[in-house]
Amino acid sequence: MRKALGSLAAACFALAALAAPAQATILGPRASHSPNAHDIRVSYWVALVVAALLIVVIHAALIVALVRFRARRGRSPRRLGARPRAFVRPGIPLAAIALGLFVFGIVMASKTRDVRATATGGLGAQSDLVAQVEGLSIPPDAKPLNINVIGQRWLWRFEYPGGRPGNRTFSYGQLVVPVDTTVLLHITSTDVTHRWFVPALGGQVDAVPGHSAETWLQADRVGTYEGQTTSYSGTSYATMRAWVKVVSPKQYTRFIQQKQKQLAAAQNFVQKQVQKKAAPPEALP
Amino acid sequence: MTHPTPIAPARPEVVSERLPTRRQAWIERATSTDHKSVGLMYIATSLAFLAVAAAELVLIRVQLIVPENTDIRPEIFDRIISTFGVTAVVLFAIPLALGLIGYLTPLQIGSRGVAFPRLNLLSFWLYVGGAVAIYGSFLWRPSESGVAALPPLSEKVFSNTHGVDAWIVGTALAVLGFVCFAVNMVVTLHNGRAPGMAWRRVPLFSWAAGVASHLLLVIGPVMLAALTMLFIDRHYGGVFFNPGEGGAPLLYEHLAWFFFTGAYALVVIVAGGVISDLLPSFARKPLFSHRGAMGSLLAIGVLGPLAWMQNMYSAPMGAGFEVFAMLIALALAIPIGLLIFNWIATVWDGALHTRAAPLFALGAISAMTIGLAGELAWSVIPVGWQIDNTTAAQGSTIAVLVGGGVLGGFAALHYWFPKLNGRLMGEGLGKVALGSILVGLYVYELMSFFAGVKGQPVDIYKFYGGTGLDGYNLAASIAAFVIVVGIVLELVNAAYSFGNGVRAGHDPWGAATLEWFTPSPPPAHNFDVLVDVRSAEPLYDIRRAIEERTRAWRPRRSPGDDDLPAPREPVAAEASSAEGGAGAGGGGPGGGDAGGDGSSGASVA
Repeated sequence: MRKALGSLAAACFALAALAAPAQATILGPRASHSPNAHDIRVSYWVALVVAALLIVVIHAALIVALVRFRARRGRSPRRLGARPRAFVRPGIPLAAIALGLFVFGIVMASKTRDVRATATGGLGAQSDLVAQVEGLSIPPDAKPLNINVIGQRWLWRFEYPGGRPGNRTFSYGQLVVPVDTTVLLHITSTDVTHRWFVPALGGQVDAVPGHSAETWLQADRVGTYEGQTTSYSGTSYATMRAWVKVVSPKQYTRFIQQKQKQLAAAQNFVQKQVQKKAAPPEALP
Repeated sequence: MTHPTPIAPARPEVVSERLPTRRQAWIERATSTDHKSVGLMYIATSLAFLAVAAAELVLIRVQLIVPENTDIRPEIFDRIISTFGVTAVVLFAIPLALGLIGYLTPLQIGSRGVAFPRLNLLSFWLYVGGAVAIYGSFLWRPSESGVAALPPLSEKVFSNTHGVDAWIVGTALAVLGFVCFAVNMVVTLHNGRAPGMAWRRVPLFSWAAGVASHLLLVIGPVMLAALTMLFIDRHYGGVFFNPGEGGAPLLYEHLAWFFFTGAYALVVIVAGGVISDLLPSFARKPLFSHRGAMGSLLAIGVLGPLAWMQNMYSAPMGAGFEVFAMLIALALAIPIGLLIFNWIATVWDGALHTRAAPLFALGAISAMTIGLAGELAWSVIPVGWQIDNTTAAQGSTIAVLVGGGVLGGFAALHYWFPKLNGRLMGEGLGKVALGSILVGLYVYELMSFFAGVKGQPVDIYKFYGGTGLDGYNLAASIAAFVIVVGIVLELVNAAYSFGNGVRAGHDPWGAATLEWFTPSPPPAHNFDVLVDVRSAEPLYDIRRAIEERTRAWRPRRSPGDDDLPAPREPVAAEASSAEGGAGAGGGGPGGGDAGGDGSSGASVA
């Protein structure tokens, strides 16, 4: 029996060694590109190893018990019961695991919430007033870019800083952010509860109507990252995706200027149409 | 007058072998307040809804078998998932547990009935009424508001159909029924135990029934309150959950999660009670620690519902709430782990008869271990931010619900089927079904885990191709079909065995608890005589007493009787009927190989 178990363990190790390159892609989330997403990945791997260990140990014991202690001729069961301290020995590792994961979870959660200051390669001109927001600890020199993320069925709207409050630059579906820059996302919703989730750039945050929730990201590489809402919101829920396009600070500035121009042009056009179609003033009673 | 004056007999005469049936059989059945009849109806109805849930699962997985599938329209898919969640939990898992509890607990504690028989019957019909309301909405337009009907989506502005009302009313009726049931069972357990049966001697299934009933008394009213508020919001201008008017959508989320997390704990507790009662019978030794298992089950019952915010890490709450939820969720590892240790130690050094029932129990332990270990990992706060509401988290939930509800339920059915109607369930078909469900569940769990860590959300009616999810979803769909095949096989097994199973006799397993002290199926009054309970294993005590008396018994020998045959086996009324029955049913759990069995010790002398 012991021999069989030994060879089984050896086979498992060999398989694990062979599968090592594939492991990272199959067993874990896709690569992270933001410090908070890194922290989530670390927590994930630790928790996964602990859970896998528990599963393997319990199943090994179950299989051994099933194979070794099946009823057969000549085997009579021993009527043994627990001594008063029987649960101390298995209880200690369980309590240690629970306590260890608890402390680890608190540490990693607060680490994930620690907003980093904008790096040197980032968009440096942002000196917006940094309000301390609930749940995040923001350093005074963070220079974050504040972007409103508004969920509505079944589309995300992004409002960029600058411009008058009722007349801000906005985009739908795709969020454009500069690389290496700390971005604070103020997430809310106008209708039902949605959930913001771009796995490469951080964890899930609920977009609850009438409430603003904050999260942050600092993308370390240029590229486009996909996300999808994970809170059921009705018929077209499955199509409510979001893309975060990370660009260089220069491209970001150009994008904002271009957007503002487009918006101004569109507003002018609409205004003209309205004036053209508006009834002449003398027609009013 | 030619009519003779009736002359009363001098004493009552028994003129009939059974009481005349006054009404048609189905009316008798529907109005019978016998807890065994009500329990049977609960079990049968919940198994019917298991079949319905399995059919809905097939539809869901057919839609998700290939990327961007268009087989099922999105709104139809939404109706299916909105009904599937409530079917699986409220119409199947809880009522199956309650049916088993309602039938067996009074027998296990040596009671001649339940405290409030009519309340018990009412609870069943409330549950049926709820099911009718939910499925009746298919006549017009069922709810499309998701598994838990979270507002604001389920508010009138976004879901202006009566399907949501049907969902609310149906769920509320069923939950109200469960609360009525719990009231009855709590009072029965407190007042109806046999003489000598202190709490520490209550069989573990009945202990689990007690914990589960108290738990239902806590979580049921919370859900009723949430549903009532939602109904008021929808129809009477309430603003409980309307953010525009100062309401809080999160409030409903808290209340609903409190109920659903509690229901989840309830399934684990009842399955734990089943396994704790069943393993000793088949390993032929007492549970490793009766008190330890009691403590574990109680701790799960207390901590389980308190971990409700473990599902809400992404919601806007203070960080302290998340830490509290994580503390409770991680602390649950200790009682659950010790319970599993207790079970393994029970099998250890025993002689496990590998009949279908203990194999189902071991399968349930395996599936629940995988699911609960997953829950443990996801309850670390940052991991929850990544995994929550993805198919990985859903996979864990399904592993626990299928492990506890389906496998645990089938284990209980195999074990107590002889009690319900005196017949055994098919062993071979049961083992095939178990293999099918287990293999399917392992693959399904693994595939949904792979897809979930890649970010596939739950409840979507389609996923996009080119995102690396195609293979996982295809394999998960096939695995789900394999699970459904196993479930259908086992349901066929139960239906067939109910009329055609092998006759089992009164005590086929040589078990140690009181429900086997009476014929199978039991008479209306359950017990002719009540034993004086001296330990947690009353039947074991009785058998041992018989054995000792047999050993001590010597025939009186007269001088000329040298060729007298060996001492004859004496017969005690209760044990002899049990032994005779066991012989007819094909022997003990080992098929006649009961060498170490206390019950057959009488013949050793």
